[in-house]
Amino acid sequence: MKGRFLALLLPPTAWLAVFLLLPTAVLAAAAFSADGLQALGRAETWLLFWRSFWIAAVSTAACLAVSYPVAYFIAGCAPKRRNLLLFLVVLPFWTNLLVRTYALKFCLDPLGWSDTGAVIFAIVQNFLPFMILPLYGSIEKLPRRLLEASQDLGASPARTFWKVTVPLTMPGIAAGCILVFIPVLGIFALPEFIHEPTRMIGGQINLYFMKLSNAKAGAALTLVLMTLTITLTWVYSRFKKSEGLV
Amino acid sequence: MRKLLGSFTALVLAALYAPIVVMVLFSFNKSAYGIRWTGFTLDWYLKLAENATLHRELGNTLAIAAISTVASTVLGTMAALAARSAFRGKSLYTTLVTLPVMVPDIVLAIAMLSLFEALSVPLSLLTAAAAHTTFNLSYVAVVVSARLQGMDRSIELAAQDLGATPWHAFRKVTLPAILPGVLSGAVLAFTLSFDDFVITYFTTGPGNGTLPMRIYSMVRFAVTPEINAMSTVILAASLALIVAALKISRVPVAGGGR
Repeated sequence: MKGRFLALLLPPTAWLAVFLLLPTAVLAAAAFSADGLQALGRAETWLLFWRSFWIAAVSTAACLAVSYPVAYFIAGCAPKRRNLLLFLVVLPFWTNLLVRTYALKFCLDPLGWSDTGAVIFAIVQNFLPFMILPLYGSIEKLPRRLLEASQDLGASPARTFWKVTVPLTMPGIAAGCILVFIPVLGIFALPEFIHEPTRMIGGQINLYFMKLSNAKAGAALTLVLMTLTITLTWVYSRFKKSEGLV
Repeated sequence: MRKLLGSFTALVLAALYAPIVVMVLFSFNKSAYGIRWTGFTLDWYLKLAENATLHRELGNTLAIAAISTVASTVLGTMAALAARSAFRGKSLYTTLVTLPVMVPDIVLAIAMLSLFEALSVPLSLLTAAAAHTTFNLSYVAVVVSARLQGMDRSIELAAQDLGATPWHAFRKVTLPAILPGVLSGAVLAFTLSFDDFVITYFTTGPGNGTLPMRIYSMVRFAVTPEINAMSTVILAASLALIVAALKISRVPVAGGGR
């Protein structure tokens, strides 16, 4: 039994040690170099981080605002319709992000819409499914009787929504926000396609590696991005207790 | 109220699909510029079919996807099976296995690139496949884990009590039970790999580009109906893969996405 367990445990662990932990260590070593530290000392770097951060935050908030009514509607549909709608929501996110972004660019360019607003619109359009799914998951589990109780006790629909529905679906809201916010922090092709000057941190990393051949500076920015996202996930997991890998 | 919500949902779905529909439509447009419809043509697809570079890049895309799918399916399934037992340091292990899914893909790509550069490993299809294996391993582990959670372990233990060797019990009891999860994990891995741009972009060697990379460099140059045609082909391939995944199992609705 023990031998079998080790035989299962060792290969994936060894793989991750060589192709995840070791690369991270090398990345950190590269970041803590003269070039790396110099990049971190520049004000422009932190402006870029700040810009990426607020773009991701605004996009996540917009995603939430758009997704909540949609998830709420889907959860209230009859099972057959519900499955169809869920399928339609999920389908695009199985397809290539680059292709979807290009499709959007193809439509936005002739309209002449190319600014930071367009970038945020494109992010929201692309990442909606990440928000709708977890929201749907927790809205669907909402106990009807609590909503009825709230109304019976005289709360207005709006009050019931803010005081009962929203707090009870917080796990879905938090999961959706983290699923959108983290990948958005790291995007680089999307802003480049929609509006090149709205460069985010991913774009700068790309520049350091592919154009400026300053890998150390790129590594430093990547390490900060990595630390940021892992911290966020860690904080999130403090709130959400779960067992196993799911 | 419900009517309003319904209309809003319809509007959101329209916003999700409209750009894709428009893009596909204009891959059949005669005019090479702008979005004015000037007549139906298959020229752009014929141009793709004649382009030898694209054939090679399609081959690269498929090779990276195939290698990383096989490796990550085996490793990811092992990781999920190991995570069933209780052991010291399990939460650390769980974090390690899910880490590649939790960081933005550019982080994983740059970390890999740094490793290969530090060890002077020349970038090639294999380095890209190794990088893909790392993130796919996580996705497969999560999908198989979901399947394992619904599984009754006593059957497996009964098989062993009745004298089956652990390997025999695994082959005859555990594997058939988790096979749908393993297969949908594999299809998910293949799809993610096929669609990936960021990881490949940083970890593949010169001259070993893939189709998504071709789209990236073409779009930066100019918007042409050829890109529409190529995007449509990639879209169709992804859709075929999803249909396959859904046929195998209904699990992965909440999986994926990159």
